[in-house]
Amino acid sequence: MATPGADQLRIGSSQVPITDDMIHTATRELYSRSLRKVPEDAKEGLRAAMKVESSEIARRTLDLQLKSAELAERKDRFVCSDSGVPTYFVKIGSKAELDCDLKASIRSGYEELVDTIDPPLLKHVTNPLTRERGYHGKDMPLVSYDFESGADYVEIICSPKALGSGRWAALELFTFPSLEEIETYVLDVAIKAGAQHCPPVIMGVGIGGSFDFCASMAKKQTLRPIGQVNPEPTLAAMEDRLKTAVNGLGFGPMGTGGDTTVLGVHVDYASGHGFTPVAVCFNCWINRRTSVRMWNDGRMEWGE
Amino acid sequence: MSVREHELSLPVDQVAIRELRAGDVVYLTGEIFATAGLPTHDRLLRCIDGEEEAPFDMSGGALFHLGSLNEEVEDGSLRIIYMNPTTSTRFNGHMPRLIPGLGLRMTGGKGGLSAESAKAMAENGCVYLGFLGGGAQIITQAIRKVTGIGWPEMISHYRIARIQVERLGPLTVGIDAHGRSIYDETHTAALGRREDLLQAMRAQRDAVETSGDA
Repeated sequence: MATPGADQLRIGSSQVPITDDMIHTATRELYSRSLRKVPEDAKEGLRAAMKVESSEIARRTLDLQLKSAELAERKDRFVCSDSGVPTYFVKIGSKAELDCDLKASIRSGYEELVDTIDPPLLKHVTNPLTRERGYHGKDMPLVSYDFESGADYVEIICSPKALGSGRWAALELFTFPSLEEIETYVLDVAIKAGAQHCPPVIMGVGIGGSFDFCASMAKKQTLRPIGQVNPEPTLAAMEDRLKTAVNGLGFGPMGTGGDTTVLGVHVDYASGHGFTPVAVCFNCWINRRTSVRMWNDGRMEWGE
Repeated sequence: MSVREHELSLPVDQVAIRELRAGDVVYLTGEIFATAGLPTHDRLLRCIDGEEEAPFDMSGGALFHLGSLNEEVEDGSLRIIYMNPTTSTRFNGHMPRLIPGLGLRMTGGKGGLSAESAKAMAENGCVYLGFLGGGAQIITQAIRKVTGIGWPEMISHYRIARIQVERLGPLTVGIDAHGRSIYDETHTAALGRREDLLQAMRAQRDAVETSGDA
């Protein structure tokens, strides 16, 4: 997901494996960047929505969202005060050479970020058993790992998850559901979430696989750039239907009515048994997402 | 119909509050209170019950669901580095008692409040103002001075900050003092449209299947 031509930072000499230093820098930088800049595809989505939105109050809110994004970017300050729970997705290419303790370096990068970031973060990391809040805790930061055949890089995506949109995700298990049952469920989750998640949002949907795999698919779909067409025709048609239907609910930007409740509905599926999980999750309008690719020669390419 | 705009100076009386209609836009100047803490709302309920003393008298005032990074500077003055709304529905269980109990004229945040809160607002002359979520820089720009921090022993966004603001906004009147709630209206409308939207999706799927058969 790294954008070609994005700024590059080179650490170390050429032809060395990917180092602890690179992973540490990546983890620290990605989180900080994700808090200050709304990705270009999200801003473009807001601009496109403004052109077709019929409600005046909704157009004003979309305009205000764009202004907020621009101001944060210009001042190099946070768009939102809820800096979320730190969440990283790591993809390791089969041809990437690693000479590092990946897990330890991700953690140390996050810890340095907490100690040095300007302005400081609020304490959002919560122990769910005691409700105590701080910056650290069991399993922080949250990291998931994946592999990519043939790739000669390591990619890390950071998408800090805040409460506003995080709390409305849902998953239900069906047996041999029809497309109608699946789409009805997705629409009902959208109705339940209403406008609590700072719309216009991105909706990620996973269908099939197992309980855990399905939730992961849905989450990864919220990271897919807006406007990228689904290569699977059945899903591309489903995405169009669901986007139109959810926008037809009329919640609008920040819930004060309008035609723009989602900027995109992104769906993925996996084969599974006849018990079919359907997972739905949301990313708020600021759509926090930053990425980096790191190569064996020390190159780091930053993207969104 | 174009959107009505209001410039309001705090404190405001009931007459000015009753003038506001759901969907209007407001800019606020004067003193507000801000907190994003669930434990803070629990403590405020205990204050109403006389079990604890509130750090400020908020009667006739504005208490918003805004989280802030606040701190005491070396010279003893207070400042807020950034501030932004939190989800108000988290306080659905508190607000129906806090609105009359604290004597609030205004509350707000993002996402609205329940019908029970809207009823308390109508009975007591209070409005709910909707802030932009993810509007930290726009909201923080309106801060002129931090004049007090209540319950400083709590973590930053749980404390109650007393703040002088200038033209804080634009804020949308989400629930007015006449019982009208945009949030309830949009939710009811969405439920009303559900069957038609499902039918439209069904027709689109059928069209795909039919063309696939040809």
